[in-house]
Amino acid sequence: MSGRTITGIPVASGIAIGKAIFVNRSHKATLLRQTVASSLVEKEVERLENAFAVTEAELADIRSQVPDELKDYKMLIDTHLLMLKDPQLKGTAGEYIRTLSLNAEWALEKAVADQEAKFGAIDDPYIRERMQDVRVVSDRVQSKLAGRSNDFKAMQGRFIIMAHDLSPADTVAMEVDKIMAFATVQGGKTSHTGIMARTLGIPAVVGVPDLQKKVSDGDLVIIDGISGKIIVNPGEDVLADYNERAAKFEEYSRKIKRRCQLPAETLDGFRVQVFANIELVEEVAAVLDNGGEGIGLYRTEYAYMNRTTLPTEDELTEKYSELASIMSPRKVVFRTLDLGADKFMAHYGELNEPNPAMGLRAIRFCLKHPQLFKSQLRAILRASAHGNVAIMFPMISGIKEVRQAKAWLAQAKAELRREGVEYDPDMPIGIMIELPAAVMVAEFLAQEVDFFSIGTNDLIQYSIGVDRTNRHVSYLYQPLHPATLKSIKLVVDAAHQAGIEVSLCGEVASDPFCVPLLMGMGIDSLSLTPQAIPGIKRIIRQTQMRECRNLLREVMQCRTVHRINSLVMDSIFKSYPEELTFFASLLENDEAPA
Amino acid sequence: MKNDEQAGEELLSRQVVVANPHGLHARPAGKLAQEALGFKSSISIVLDDQEVDAKSILDILTLAAGQGCILEIRATGEDAEQALDVLERLFANRFEEEK
Repeated sequence: MSGRTITGIPVASGIAIGKAIFVNRSHKATLLRQTVASSLVEKEVERLENAFAVTEAELADIRSQVPDELKDYKMLIDTHLLMLKDPQLKGTAGEYIRTLSLNAEWALEKAVADQEAKFGAIDDPYIRERMQDVRVVSDRVQSKLAGRSNDFKAMQGRFIIMAHDLSPADTVAMEVDKIMAFATVQGGKTSHTGIMARTLGIPAVVGVPDLQKKVSDGDLVIIDGISGKIIVNPGEDVLADYNERAAKFEEYSRKIKRRCQLPAETLDGFRVQVFANIELVEEVAAVLDNGGEGIGLYRTEYAYMNRTTLPTEDELTEKYSELASIMSPRKVVFRTLDLGADKFMAHYGELNEPNPAMGLRAIRFCLKHPQLFKSQLRAILRASAHGNVAIMFPMISGIKEVRQAKAWLAQAKAELRREGVEYDPDMPIGIMIELPAAVMVAEFLAQEVDFFSIGTNDLIQYSIGVDRTNRHVSYLYQPLHPATLKSIKLVVDAAHQAGIEVSLCGEVASDPFCVPLLMGMGIDSLSLTPQAIPGIKRIIRQTQMRECRNLLREVMQCRTVHRINSLVMDSIFKSYPEELTFFASLLENDEAPA
Repeated sequence: MKNDEQAGEELLSRQVVVANPHGLHARPAGKLAQEALGFKSSISIVLDDQEVDAKSILDILTLAAGQGCILEIRATGEDAEQALDVLERLFANRFEEEK
């Protein structure tokens, strides 16, 4: 038997081989309603209370292992602990055992159903959603009642966690050091599971529709977080092959990580700063751990999503200040809201845009809704008093937008000054260069701001006119297209001519094939996903600026992507063969002998 | 768990206002229950005609008290006075949520 292979979206790299265990499967189906003999009622109550006590002790234990940076998780566990102590659950379930002679399982389910009815009647969606937590808590107690010591505690060794979907509530209830990898049915590139896995440094594959059908508890599985493959009950040869790959990957990761705190400096002494792109404050640990010199792009959208009310200025200030002060004196660049109108339908009415990518989004949306914009500007300014903060505006198409955005910022500053609230008056102001129009007028834009940040994902998309998620045309999405390279170079030159710094924060920044060219152009800093930092720093440390410049000169003469690709490939194989053969060996040879 | 007035122990009460912008959500509800659990007295929260147990996070949550709601905290027991002081301060400080 060579095992079954299923595929999903890889969201955290690495390879794990271990036993699969499903979590948060509904216990409901297995619950039985039973009547307890009156002589045994007190025993049944005791059984219930025991299950609560054991669950509580277990959670308290988990809580003590959660690192302090994960503040939100700690608070979530606290909420769960309070629910375990709550008379409405334990007390009411106990009463049901006594008055209705019910078994503990059914009594608890009935108490939970009571809560479900109460929560269901509440208008406020935030409070209503807390019912999920009641379910998580009662599931834990139910599994204790069933004598399943499931929840890892009693189980030896480590596991690969499988689930339909993992919420923060689920991951928090796990013992972190027993988890080898995650695989979920739901989820995409930006899902919570991926962020959690990358924070923990373990592989994860999400969006695997067949997961529950193809994998059972206890199956031996291989999770390949590089290619997105999951191999169930692999044959010996596949297993041997993957064992070797896993060892290689680990050795390589360890090796590059050991040196990740060293500066990204070329052999001939040119220095580039390497920053991280993040979305959640919790990712800070991964940034520092991987040698990030700061946050080059903090995506601020998360606080506005999956909710029906807008975040308040105070709420944002608290989050932003926390991030600024944890990172201080390192830099944090806040990108203002980069969402489309479609995300705010509840507040601003449906727009029905035929082409949202070119519609009312990012800075355009913010300028149209100054109240929303200003509350974020004020929050960023207030956070600037607590660290080294910079701000940048996304999707700028010309001078007018920059001036308007800066005018709102100036007004926010004036207000804060009047109110006597502290902020950094010299906070640097930058813009994202991601529209071809901005590229063309970069020399003028450079007069208006303190720095540029090139967003290559959108720039490539808009300049080649291709949606890379559209499989019919995605082949056209080419980072090394001559037009892309000329655009980037134009922007870098314009910035340096004006004496301002220029950074690059698209996926190109973590692409080993592109980085030497960016170096050759003289990019000042790169900003990338935290986990890619050690590898990119290592590549930079092995390059010569002289070679980068030569390569760039040659490449800029090329007329086709094809020619550029082969030039770059050749030169890179010469400069750091070890890296490339390593990655090639992980990605190729996918179909191991049966 | 209704808090019947016990013989010899009077029922004390205070009025407080929910100042948190999102009302008594998980975080403030949790803090309230957590503090209340630390006292021996029976403590309840009253909103209009609903009276709930202040030691129950679920009760507090399902009260769904929004910003601006006026609540009454009631306590009976040996440390009732002290409990009211502590809980009143929580409301006054907006549960340390924001400045």
